[in-house]
Amino acid sequence: MQIAIASGKGGVGKSTITASLLYLLKDDYSFVAVDADAEAPNLGLLLGVTEWDEEREHIGAKVARINTESCVKCGICYERCPYGCIYIDDEEGNYVVNELTCEGCNVCGLVCPVAGTITLEEVRSGVIRKATTKYGFPLISAQLDVGRPESGKLVTEEKEWASKLMKELNLEHMIVDSAAGIGCQVIASLGGADVAILIAEPTPASLSDVQRAYKVVQHFREPAYLIINKADINPGFRGLEEWAEKEGIPILGRIPYDRAVPKSMSMLKPVVEAFPDSKASKAIVEIAEVIKKEILG
Amino acid sequence: MQIAISGGKGGTGKSTVATNLAVALRKIGVKLTLADLDVEAPNDHILLGVELANEKPVNQFMPRFDYSKCTKCRKCAEVCEEHAIVTLRDGTPFLMPTLCSGCRACEIVCPVPGAIQEAFRTIGHTYVTPTPYGFTLVTGKLKEGEERSMPLVVAAKRRAEEVREGLLMVDTAAGTGNTVSKAIESSKLLIAVTEPTPLGIHDTELILELGRLMGIPTWVVVNRADLGEKEKVYELARKYGAEVVAEIPYSENIVRSYVEGKPIVLTDYPEAEIFTGLAKRVAEFLGGGE
Ligand code: SF4
Ligand code: SF4
Ligand code: SF4
Ligand code: SF4
Repeated sequence: MQIAIASGKGGVGKSTITASLLYLLKDDYSFVAVDADAEAPNLGLLLGVTEWDEEREHIGAKVARINTESCVKCGICYERCPYGCIYIDDEEGNYVVNELTCEGCNVCGLVCPVAGTITLEEVRSGVIRKATTKYGFPLISAQLDVGRPESGKLVTEEKEWASKLMKELNLEHMIVDSAAGIGCQVIASLGGADVAILIAEPTPASLSDVQRAYKVVQHFREPAYLIINKADINPGFRGLEEWAEKEGIPILGRIPYDRAVPKSMSMLKPVVEAFPDSKASKAIVEIAEVIKKEILG
Repeated sequence: MQIAISGGKGGTGKSTVATNLAVALRKIGVKLTLADLDVEAPNDHILLGVELANEKPVNQFMPRFDYSKCTKCRKCAEVCEEHAIVTLRDGTPFLMPTLCSGCRACEIVCPVPGAIQEAFRTIGHTYVTPTPYGFTLVTGKLKEGEERSMPLVVAAKRRAEEVREGLLMVDTAAGTGNTVSKAIESSKLLIAVTEPTPLGIHDTELILELGRLMGIPTWVVVNRADLGEKEKVYELARKYGAEVVAEIPYSENIVRSYVEGKPIVLTDYPEAEIFTGLAKRVAEFLGGGE
């Protein structure tokens, strides 16, 4: 089974809760964990990974380059780039591609009148790594290079590697911690999942973002569940619970705000391992039990 | 003049800093427009307690094939870097709309006039919302199910530039991919909001690296400064020649004002001072630059 964990909004505790759930499920199930937040991968840190078994470069991104020698400075590429990624270098008056924003669509190369002046070059867009965590299960994690496009493809490649690993090691499940937002990384994380677990906190901003993530989940027709984190920080706010009820999304549990969570994070340990008696840990243990019964069977 | 607020990791309090700084700057007389370019998860309007207004669809080009003219040469599919065009065995092209980024490369290479017609689809919306704080908020919002946020970032930034008054303040998405660099582009100052947890520190290095690559002077704001090892943030800032300009403690007051959609800088809570102080520094920086 493939489970994807998403939240829409960043910083609502998705990776910390995921790390704790992995810790609690490791004894009863076999799985591979995938950190699909390629722009800010944190699961490795939270699971105390210090060494990677294997690292693969991902050469997927393309960026345009202009050969200033043959460029006749007609400015056509500058006008036609759909994303405004070509600028005129002040000092020399040359046309230059901003490699940190280029989407690699090759429109500039197609419209340039001087053949061979603009080339689309493959560049490294990031790395994908594999580790064996000290808890025994493997972790696949990707890191997008700064300023690169196509993080969705990186996630797809991560999941392919994870699927292979499942076959090789005869693992039952894949648990994917997706990125914030609702774009290509999240779509690649949710696509192909059997179940989505959404995490939100009771604030209007988090509600708005998790509703958007849920629309993506609906697009894939996946059953969804909700975990409410920091459930007690905003007692007057009922919007999250009301929304879940209206949509018929089962709530797996509510985790109270607990200073043990940030403390465990600075110790680089799942909170359920670092402070098993804390309020938050007790709530997560209950949630893990529900997941075992309701989802993993 | 343009400045950007970013943070690397999600949930570091980027939007809290952006909205409060905007209110504080306006209070001390700086004219500005705030642009929320976190198009996958825009929240500044919620934090400012306003409903998005003046909706405008972002209509993006997509090819529509006229099969009576198409010669099934497959050129369009070959050139499409997004692999948004698939071809049947006989070469008939089909579009997978959500993958299309609207770049028009297919239209440019199609050898048969009229085989590719111009069609459009709405990939999201931009909004121009007046706020009760004396500045306008421009927001980009990607439609759910759309994959590419870049075109929406470009459209929202363009709309912000059209309506801007004075300073343009840009609030970016999490991460350090090319949509974040697009949002930051042309800024004279980058303010990186971070938290001193190991995860926050890890991601701070990425945003500082982006600032360095883009050649933009960078300031660091340490949020929830008491929850971790802030010395490490200082160390990192030093390494990148960035200055730590403010520390914000973890505070129930901030959480409350966040939850209520009331900028803390307008309250009597002691935390308001931090944002006023930051605003003064930004104003000084802007003054010095002109
Ligand atoms: S490849 Fe596309 S995005 Fe990059 S510079 Fe050329 S036209 Fe612009
Ligand atoms: S279109 Fe080609 S020749 Fe013209 S400015 Fe661009 S790179 Fe130079
Ligand atoms: S507009 Fe660009 S992305 Fe869309 S189908 Fe044509 S080539 Fe592909
Ligand atoms: S390039 Fe034009 S003629 Fe060739 S398959 Fe595509 S639409 Fe048809």
